[in-house]
Amino acid sequence: MVAVENYFILSSLVFLCGLAGVMFRRNLIMVLMSIELMLNAVNIIFVAASRQLGQVDGQIMVLFVITVAACEAAVGLAMVIALFRRYGTVNTDFLRLLRG
Amino acid sequence: MEALNLMPEILFYIISGMVLVSSVMVVASRNPITSAIFLVVDLFFVAALYASLGADFTAAVQVLVYAGAIVVLFVFVIMLLNLKPEALRGFRFTVGEALVLLITLTGFVIIATELAHAPPDIASPGNLGAAAIELAGGNTFVVGMRMFTAFLWPFEIASVLILLAIVACVMVAKKDKKSGLKGHIQSSGGN
Repeated sequence: MVAVENYFILSSLVFLCGLAGVMFRRNLIMVLMSIELMLNAVNIIFVAASRQLGQVDGQIMVLFVITVAACEAAVGLAMVIALFRRYGTVNTDFLRLLRG
Repeated sequence: MEALNLMPEILFYIISGMVLVSSVMVVASRNPITSAIFLVVDLFFVAALYASLGADFTAAVQVLVYAGAIVVLFVFVIMLLNLKPEALRGFRFTVGEALVLLITLTGFVIIATELAHAPPDIASPGNLGAAAIELAGGNTFVVGMRMFTAFLWPFEIASVLILLAIVACVMVAKKDKKSGLKGHIQSSGGN
């Protein structure tokens, strides 16, 4: 039985990877992928805590998080396509304004 | 018996090492396609982590939905846009960015120390314990029973959310007939 702290350490490191990706990458698609990484890090904590607390509610919450992540990825990628069609770039240094 | 007792530890360290390496590669590689491939690797090993934690159904959903659907969507869009590998900005931390990373790490440490010492919540209605889950028909059965009784209402809301996402995707990505704003925005906003 692996101690639950190990899962928290792993999860925080993966989350920091994703956060660094959102902060330092300049490609909108890379930013979306980094957000997926962060959601995954949270899911790891959910499942580890679900075993630690002896109940399956954490795993059900992971299923909802996956649903939200799928919706977010689909809408985000649709927005990326619309932005690329209009401006010809997905660079976040260029796309700084919220208005279209 | 000693070797068998050590196996979960070794498995955990192998899996978590692969998860860490692939997530660093997702963020650090210049080519978006390479990132997407490493994202698949990452998601597969996270699914392996779930399986080693006894969450079989979650592991299956992780592989099916994440690796099977979401990453394929990413790869489609990357190929549709025909993106060039980007020049990586040098890792120069500003004070604000370093502060954000530090605060996040602190929050994780607080959550970890709080949760790691939390005793199993015996009084909670969802509490079953590993042995009881096995006795009740396995992980998938228990998750299904719990989801369609206690979590039925959130489950239905999730279906509405997916419907909304479908409509939003079609509306946003639809070809715009009068997209003549390009020059206007370029002259006023993007520099």
